[in-house]
Amino acid sequence: MSRSYDRALTVFSPDGHLFQVEYALEAVRKGTCAVGVRGKNVVVLGVEKKSVLQLQDPRTVRKVVMLDDHVCLAFAGLTADGRVLIDKARIECQSHRLTVEDPVTVEYITRHIAGIQQRYTQSGGVRPFGISTLIVGFDPHDARPRLYQTEPSGIYSAWKANAIGRSSKTVREFLEKNHKDDMTREDSIKLTIKSLLEVVQTGAKNIEISVMEEYGKVSSLELEEIERIVTEIEHEKEAEAERKRSRLAATAAGQAAMSTRAGAESSG
Amino acid sequence: MARRYDSRTTIFSPEGRLYQIEYAMEAISHAGTVLGVLAKDGVVLAAEKKVTGKLLDLSGEGGYGGSGEKIFLLNSNVIGGVAGLTSDANSLVNYARTAAQQHLLSYNEDIPVELLAQRLCDMKQGYTQYGGLRPFGVSLLYAGYDPHYQFQLYHSDPSGNYSGWKATCIGANNGTAQSLLKQEYKDDILVKDAIALVLKVMSKTMDSTTLGSEKLEFAVLTLDESTKQPKAKIYKPSEIDALLRAEGLAKTDGDTEMKSA
Amino acid sequence: METSFALTGKGYVIVAADTTAARSIVKMKVDEDKIKEISPHLLMAYSGEPGDTVQFAEFVERNIRLYQIRNLYPLRPSAAASWIRRSLADSLRSRSPYSVNLLVGGYDTATHEPKLYWIDYLGTQVDVPFGAHGYGSYFALSLLDRYHDPEASLEEGLATLKRCVDEVAKRLVVSPGRYKVKVVDKDGVREVEI
Repeated sequence: MSRSYDRALTVFSPDGHLFQVEYALEAVRKGTCAVGVRGKNVVVLGVEKKSVLQLQDPRTVRKVVMLDDHVCLAFAGLTADGRVLIDKARIECQSHRLTVEDPVTVEYITRHIAGIQQRYTQSGGVRPFGISTLIVGFDPHDARPRLYQTEPSGIYSAWKANAIGRSSKTVREFLEKNHKDDMTREDSIKLTIKSLLEVVQTGAKNIEISVMEEYGKVSSLELEEIERIVTEIEHEKEAEAERKRSRLAATAAGQAAMSTRAGAESSG
Repeated sequence: MARRYDSRTTIFSPEGRLYQIEYAMEAISHAGTVLGVLAKDGVVLAAEKKVTGKLLDLSGEGGYGGSGEKIFLLNSNVIGGVAGLTSDANSLVNYARTAAQQHLLSYNEDIPVELLAQRLCDMKQGYTQYGGLRPFGVSLLYAGYDPHYQFQLYHSDPSGNYSGWKATCIGANNGTAQSLLKQEYKDDILVKDAIALVLKVMSKTMDSTTLGSEKLEFAVLTLDESTKQPKAKIYKPSEIDALLRAEGLAKTDGDTEMKSA
Repeated sequence: METSFALTGKGYVIVAADTTAARSIVKMKVDEDKIKEISPHLLMAYSGEPGDTVQFAEFVERNIRLYQIRNLYPLRPSAAASWIRRSLADSLRSRSPYSVNLLVGGYDTATHEPKLYWIDYLGTQVDVPFGAHGYGSYFALSLLDRYHDPEASLEEGLATLKRCVDEVAKRLVVSPGRYKVKVVDKDGVREVEI
């Protein structure tokens, strides 16, 4: 039945689906996980980094890239598609500066990227981009951090915190539970790492963190720094578990005491 | 069922996969092995030739004579090794050479190796997304030098992905070769030892028991002592045989006697 | 009258340009910056047809920046100069050519050498130890022939530049009042006073 509907993308299936777009989202779900978290005046991008093979050059494995001085992007999905889309975005960033003398706003470049992605769902003879992106940055002359997401369909949206890629649903639920408004730099980084740890079992060495603190000020955390935070989180978790255990033990002891006293009273 | 997603244009399957690319990669895993090793003072490439025959003319420069089936000079600072459909590879090699010359025309410098790999990958990616054409059935190794990152070795596949390596292998038996490389590779290896390593791994992964110039292509990229410019050397059949003799891997008379006995 | 100088020294390039924006015989502005920092180790002084100059300089700036963002490293001075020359040569053969003269000075972080290129609106590019554009060049070049030393320290280089500036002030009928001077070396670009 659906045969002729998922080949030509310009055509809807009878029940209103654009199959290729939905399948592209599946490709995104297979990609490595990326998390974006917005704090009070900071925005953090965290990505799950596949282990670099022993003989591979780590320099050539990049998951977070700069689009311009003040905009960073992380993607999940097909790497080659990502590279091509990023290149288009970088050209637009410089072209925008050339025409209007101003750097792009984060929303502008997000809209531009989403626009390209949308075109590839409607033009003939092309498949959609198999990637979702998280775009972070600061607008010129503005202290508010920005975080946007785009999808293969060309939908884009602004977020306080979000995740894309593998197990993004789990991570998003975690973020929904733990995100607070106006977090500090440290808290934002910690939340990012914490949420990534929900899906990354191998710890710090498979996590990459980029932090943008103000217009044009981007840094990526050293491995030692990430390791330190990971251990901190683990300690907290242990302490939490310990508290839980002792609370349980306390209540158990309390109940036991109650029952013995009750027993004593009844016998007395 | 599956046929719906694996013919002609590359489109997503319901699981979000691109079968055409996966099939192209499958084709490459049966192709002749190409091996690259990055050394401190150079890069070494070797490839297994598939077109052989007693009457094949190996004397000339072009065609399959000498080298030219699997190892090509892409630019004065980059050698490429190809695995997969040879005809596809020819058009990619041509594209790479044009891209390199275009860079020379614009910037009056040799194209940086990674940029050349990127150029080809952008084209390969395009064939997986639009135009109603099948993807290129070719993986490449790029061995090159530029002043930004010195000697480099890259690998690109039909999807348009690429990455940098210290030592890697594409084509048939690449798993065996990879694990051998992993065991034997040392970070500060010199070209001299890299050549020996490459030949050793090739001799273990190739189908035939003995190595010879009729089955092997070989190239080395180093820096010229006096000019400090990259110098690419693609070995001629006679040079390959000489090299194999020097490494003690060539056919010996003993072998032939054993066979005839 | 528009004038720009540039000279190399030991590990640096000095680029100087007048700061007058004029139309016909009228000075419109005396603090115009005609030297663009087009990458961390690259300076470009531009002169010529007003309007063309800025348009072309911005075009160059954005393209060179794009190259850096794409490749994570900037173009080397020689490659950048070649690209700029080619852009000018292509434009010369188009319907509306740019009329711009340039001095491109940079520090090559790969070879640790200062590089200077003299480029004119016809797409001529020369690798030079020192160079000048405009009416000032008639007075400056002979001085630079006499006093330029590729091994000179920055102070000595600036002193040589001062000679050129003073000579132009002394001899040229309508000499520019002020100059902007920028230096590029291994630490990047900075402005200096003379």
